[in-house]
Amino acid sequence: MSKQAKRKQKPQLIQWRLYVVVGFVCLMFTSLIGRAAYIQIIEPEKLRHESDMRTLRTTSREVQRGLITDRNGEMLAVSVPVKAVYADPKVVHDKNGFADMRRWQALADVLHEPKEDILKRVQSNPRKRFTYLKRQVTPAVADYIKQLKLPGVYLKPESRRYYPTGEISAQLVGITNIDDKGIEGIENTYDDWLTGTPSKQKVRKSRDGHVVERLDMVQEGESPNDLVLSIDQRIQQLAYRELKKATEANQATSGSIVVLDVHTGEVLAMANTPSYNPNSRENLQGFRMRNRALTDSYEPGSTIKPFVVAAALEAGTIKVDDIIKTNPGRMRIGGKIVRDGRNYGDLSLSGILVHSSNVGMTKIALSMPVQELLGAYQTMGLGNYSGINLEGESAGLIHDRRRWSEFERATLSFGYGLMATPLQLARMYSILGNKGVLYPVSILKLKQEPEGTQVLSPEVAQSVMEMLVGVTEKGGTALKAHIEGYPVAGKTGTARKAVAGGYGEDYVALFAGVAPVHNPKLAIAVVVNEPKGDRYYGGDIAAPVFAAVMSGALQMLNVEPISKREKVRLAANSRSVE
Amino acid sequence: MSKSQLNLTRIVLQDLWHNKWVMLLALLVVLNAIAVVYTSHEGRKYTSQWDQLLQERDRLDIEWRNLLLEEQSRSEHSRITRIATKELNMNRPLPKNEIVVRVP
Repeated sequence: MSKQAKRKQKPQLIQWRLYVVVGFVCLMFTSLIGRAAYIQIIEPEKLRHESDMRTLRTTSREVQRGLITDRNGEMLAVSVPVKAVYADPKVVHDKNGFADMRRWQALADVLHEPKEDILKRVQSNPRKRFTYLKRQVTPAVADYIKQLKLPGVYLKPESRRYYPTGEISAQLVGITNIDDKGIEGIENTYDDWLTGTPSKQKVRKSRDGHVVERLDMVQEGESPNDLVLSIDQRIQQLAYRELKKATEANQATSGSIVVLDVHTGEVLAMANTPSYNPNSRENLQGFRMRNRALTDSYEPGSTIKPFVVAAALEAGTIKVDDIIKTNPGRMRIGGKIVRDGRNYGDLSLSGILVHSSNVGMTKIALSMPVQELLGAYQTMGLGNYSGINLEGESAGLIHDRRRWSEFERATLSFGYGLMATPLQLARMYSILGNKGVLYPVSILKLKQEPEGTQVLSPEVAQSVMEMLVGVTEKGGTALKAHIEGYPVAGKTGTARKAVAGGYGEDYVALFAGVAPVHNPKLAIAVVVNEPKGDRYYGGDIAAPVFAAVMSGALQMLNVEPISKREKVRLAANSRSVE
Repeated sequence: MSKSQLNLTRIVLQDLWHNKWVMLLALLVVLNAIAVVYTSHEGRKYTSQWDQLLQERDRLDIEWRNLLLEEQSRSEHSRITRIATKELNMNRPLPKNEIVVRVP
């Protein structure tokens, strides 16, 4: 065939080739589409699952326990995140984790524990799935352990509670256990409020670990709340320091002090000795952890006397300017004798309180029905809970019975046969400073004024308070509670401790009072339990603590010292009742 | 020849013009798809950034708590009192030495 012929040749369609090619092409496309449709529509779950396995994660946001602060925002309890180190012994064994002993040595070193101990815990039972190696390690140590890359050794977030004020407010604030649950004091009472729960959320993470999509909440977390106490840490530390000094100097078994704001019923300080360090959980002792200011009740002794006078004035059985004969300084009732330190002769009401005359008090107490006196004690907060709402609070004790002998009625008037906590005592004195109004005690900072009850008429409260000024002046029983610049209305008390079948050799020294009289601000009660020294009188042991704390606290609160004119007026007033 | 010869480009353009609304919709679909991809990518970027900020917040919170502890232990009242009295020879004036200044 020539070249020409070749060109003229008509191209021929070879039908079967075309069909084959078209068939193949169609087949390829249908199979592709089919496969795509299969993946997309008929069975998408499997791949979705595979993708989710690689990208879906559940993250949890840990929350720290709420802060506890004092009224000025100073921290009393702070939680800091730490880590717990734990091991899964099964995984350690399966992955041949003991091959490199140097890593275990490094772990033991950083945890400050012998390597043998740690290894024993992991090796003892290879089928065990969980064992703590160490709890509450700092983030730096945790980081180090992470880099050791020990198989089967993991970290778990936890939280550690620090108490920056240490022993000063240990019993009040309380502590948490190692699982971050409050077991004492405020931490216990307000546990639910302070505790939050972590929130858990499903997220999608990219290959490099960043969260790229937030999906549904698995568990709605609850954010913890902070707590603001009514405590003023400046006063608290002063109170604790002075109380500790007194407790040690007198070798007392224990001591308590309560400082109340007269006008609101807020607790500004509440300290106890002996105390403990809440930051170290080793060797905690029950007797150190008790908040004695509200769990322990004592016979209040003479500190109760002003309230007998107030009750009698209120009942109208005596008048403010009455003179009562205490001659000859002792008195026989029901076969027993009530006696004074010496014969004081004729005394005004103020004189009875200043000299703490038992005879005078007996006469006042017997002038009114016993039920009336007990009723007055009760309305002033004895035998009732104070409203502070803390675990273990004692309500004190007032006997409720029909028959009282005259001698028992007399002892009631000088503070025997009934029990009061230091908190109750401070609260009773706050009535005097607050124009006869009794407030519930609050340990939380109040936002608005509480609702009080008028338990004494304002005139009675004012005149009893002014009668007490003489106690800390020359000739009174508590010169050591005298504060230059801030006149004090207070009363000493010294009570023998009751033992089975009578009264023992141990004493309780008390002092309670309000100041400054011209403009009352604080009520303080100091109780020193079982002083072992030569002196055991409230005026010698508790009064100096009162004076130091009261004057320091009033200065810190910027309370103005008494002016000359006020002083003259007050002196004239107390002289007129003498 | 000239009669039967058809201008392909012309026909294509005419046909396109004829179906201009469909074409427009097709274009919008494509644009929309791109926009979806773009915004979801942006969304992921923001989520990632948000997450990093949350982590930063947690880190700062931990640092704050530790600093708080340090501040508290350094400014503890009894420590201040001790330093003021022992090292700086300061003392608290007695109430009788205080002078009250009234702000009018």
